[in-house]
Amino acid sequence: MKQIFTLLIAILLVSCNEVEYQNDDKIQIVTTTTIVTDIVKNVGGEKVNVSSLMGPGIDPHLYKATEGDVAKLANAEIIIYSGLHLEGKLVDVFSKIERLGKHPVNLGEALSPNQLIESENFGGTYDPHVWFDISLFIEQAKEVARVLQTYKPEEKEYFESNLRRYTAELEALQHELHELIAELPKDRRKLVTAHDAFGYFGKAFDFEVVGLQGLSTTTEAGVQDVKRVSDYIVEHKIKSIFIESSVPRRTIEALQQTVLAKGHQVEIGDVLYSDALGTEGTPEESYIGMFRHNVTTIVEGLK
Amino acid sequence: MLEFFELLLSDYTFRIIALGTAALGAISGMLGSFAVLRKQSLLGDAISHAALPGIVMAFILFQAKDSYVLLAGALCSGVLGSLLVNGIVRKSKIKTDAALGIVLSVFFGFGMLLLTYVQKKPDAAQAGLDKYLFGQAATLMLNDVKLLIVVLGIALAILFIFWKELKVMIFDEDYALTLGINTRFLDVLITIFIVLAIVLGLQTVGVVLMSAMLLAPAAAARQWTNNLGKMLIIASVIGACSGVVGTAISATQPNLSTGPVIVIVAITFVLFSFLFAPTRGIISRQLKIQKNKKELLLKKSIAVVYSFMVNNEELVEGVEKNKLLKLRDIDEQVIKLLYEKKWIKYIDSQIVALTEEGRDIAEKIELI
Amino acid sequence: MEESKFAINVHDLTVAYDYKPVLWDIHLQVPEGVMMAIVGPNGAGKSTLIKAMLGIQKTITGTVEILGKPYKTMRKEVAYVPQKETVDWDFPATVLDVVIMGTYGRLGWIKRPKKEQRKTALKALKKVGMLPFKNRQISQLSGGQKQRVFIARALAQEASIYIMDEPLQGVDATTEVTIINILKELRSQGKTVLVVHHDLQTVPEYFDWVTFLNVKKIATGSVKDIFNDENLNKTYGINYKVYVNK
Repeated sequence: MKQIFTLLIAILLVSCNEVEYQNDDKIQIVTTTTIVTDIVKNVGGEKVNVSSLMGPGIDPHLYKATEGDVAKLANAEIIIYSGLHLEGKLVDVFSKIERLGKHPVNLGEALSPNQLIESENFGGTYDPHVWFDISLFIEQAKEVARVLQTYKPEEKEYFESNLRRYTAELEALQHELHELIAELPKDRRKLVTAHDAFGYFGKAFDFEVVGLQGLSTTTEAGVQDVKRVSDYIVEHKIKSIFIESSVPRRTIEALQQTVLAKGHQVEIGDVLYSDALGTEGTPEESYIGMFRHNVTTIVEGLK
Repeated sequence: MLEFFELLLSDYTFRIIALGTAALGAISGMLGSFAVLRKQSLLGDAISHAALPGIVMAFILFQAKDSYVLLAGALCSGVLGSLLVNGIVRKSKIKTDAALGIVLSVFFGFGMLLLTYVQKKPDAAQAGLDKYLFGQAATLMLNDVKLLIVVLGIALAILFIFWKELKVMIFDEDYALTLGINTRFLDVLITIFIVLAIVLGLQTVGVVLMSAMLLAPAAAARQWTNNLGKMLIIASVIGACSGVVGTAISATQPNLSTGPVIVIVAITFVLFSFLFAPTRGIISRQLKIQKNKKELLLKKSIAVVYSFMVNNEELVEGVEKNKLLKLRDIDEQVIKLLYEKKWIKYIDSQIVALTEEGRDIAEKIELI
Repeated sequence: MEESKFAINVHDLTVAYDYKPVLWDIHLQVPEGVMMAIVGPNGAGKSTLIKAMLGIQKTITGTVEILGKPYKTMRKEVAYVPQKETVDWDFPATVLDVVIMGTYGRLGWIKRPKKEQRKTALKALKKVGMLPFKNRQISQLSGGQKQRVFIARALAQEASIYIMDEPLQGVDATTEVTIINILKELRSQGKTVLVVHHDLQTVPEYFDWVTFLNVKKIATGSVKDIFNDENLNKTYGINYKVYVNK
């Protein structure tokens, strides 16, 4: 019995260790979420090798570092993470990395506090889901460019041109999304999701946004939250509520049941990507594709 | 306040969750009583922790996000864990408590290991595997509640059918065997239901806290009765109340986890019972000790009075109170107490004599 | 006596823990209607022997017959009185609750105890002198009272064979007398009584048959015939002298 256990554990430990060492001129960068990875890939282009700790569908609020992750971080040249406590359980790991002399780049700090949404319950902490405001996202892209240029000044021009191209794409996306949303009458612009991930989206695109759990998925939805949100849905006769790719469906399903019991027909819309991008090989694998999918889904669901 | 309760009761979510947690509480109370009486209190703890790897394995093997599949996995590893505990106890020199500890830590550790491994998989977050650690009561749905009630019903039926056999088995297992009772069968039956209760409770209070739900109502109930049947009923009621009250309290605050609040309510019942239960409660026992002490001292005093009167023959009919007051340890207060106990009487305003009862008691003491 | 008329017939019984033998090759025949003491030093396997007879103890080899038939089919005829220390007396039950348990064997699965069973239990309680205590919590009983409750439970089984494990250990003098009188009465009714007994001094006074046990069966027979220094020596291994009031 014991031998089988040891064997299994050994196999698992070995398979967790996926440290790959590249022997080329590219800058070795380790990122946390797929969203951060997207920026770095777009700005860094051919000159960087990006390794992401979290893949698609992973919840960054809950993610805990593994042995392999720590090794990856220790061997990276640059570490870039989203910040503002999004990667809540990696705080310890990052401070340990700091002591090794590396300075992980906190993209949250690229923004000033007055651009951020402060938490209602906990003053001093901010909503970390900044990427849903495209102008803020562009600021973070600029920060990434700056970091890369500081690290490898000889490629300054290369990163600059990438940044310009990417910024143009993002601005085009912003325009496109505004058009899409214009199709939705103002009184229908009410978005209900599993957790408070879309605050900045709401601010930027003039939506009322309500999440069941709080800013972090670590908080448990309580009885009162389900009641509060279900009452809101019934009151405003909201057509659809949305599940998120990285959060359990159960919470939204329970919410739907409550609303149905109150006599209002509400649908569960398609999946939204909140804290992570979609699977590789799909259009949603990039930030732009993901955002486009989200808004299309939201508009479809609420029309 | 009243309208608050009205509001609460009229709310669908509250009704569903309160009903579900009440059913869970009742099941936990009933089945937990058996575990407690068999001195297997930590069995619930071991099994709930043992359920974790089953949940994660079910996800890994079947890519399942459906809670029923995951709970089936929990059931399997929970049963495996309990079988392992029994096996270890039977086949080695290791005692039950150590076996429980071993199974608990190995299974739970393995489960946590699998969790960190699995978190890299995209669907894991959607499956909400993490949520099974502490439960998420607010997401109980009608089907879950229906299942809980069905299981409660079946458990009640089984207890009713096998009542006398279970009673003997728990009290005196060897003797039960000689009566021809198949204790193995009953043992497995009860264990399976305990595992079932735990698995159902995982969604509500989670792996870590489920053991408290099995223990607390039973421990509290034991304090109030010396009758097995009544104990089970009280345990079920306490369990159910913990569920309802816990849900109500957590409904007053946003983002307040329901599971832990239910457990806290249950534990409050335990504390209250340990302190205030008549006869078995700590306060009651302290009072009894104090009372006995006082009585003993009074007996000493009456013996002193008695021997004084006997040694001075002319005092047999009655003695002046003042003379008594000169005796060791006798003062006005003691005389008053002896009078209240009807061990002495006043023949005159200042003359005191022993009553029949007082004399009896004093004589008995003299014989010691 | 014919073979099949033995109350208990133990054949080729061996019990071992790990590799240590606890009972070795026991052949024991207990005639009907005797009151037999089983004696031996600590660790001799006395409790193990009766547990093995009752099917509570796993054996390596051995068969047990009750009145000529395999034990498992004759359970109703055998009543067991375990050592009182084996039970947690803090269990929520009254004296009557415990004694009624003795009637469960004849009731069978699922059926509930009714008036008749209650009557049998009360009768048994009266016999052991515990009737006034029938509603007392079992945790509030003294050692002697607990023992009497166990005996009453066995009496309620209305069996023909009574097997008891040290019933006189740790009881007060009055209880000891009460119990011995009950046992003697059982014998006079033709029942067979088997007692693991801790006190050699009282063997000849209380019992008519005795079995000397020390992992192996040293001897068995009537007290008159075999309760002597030779067997005592063989069993206890030292110069054991017992002063017997002949």
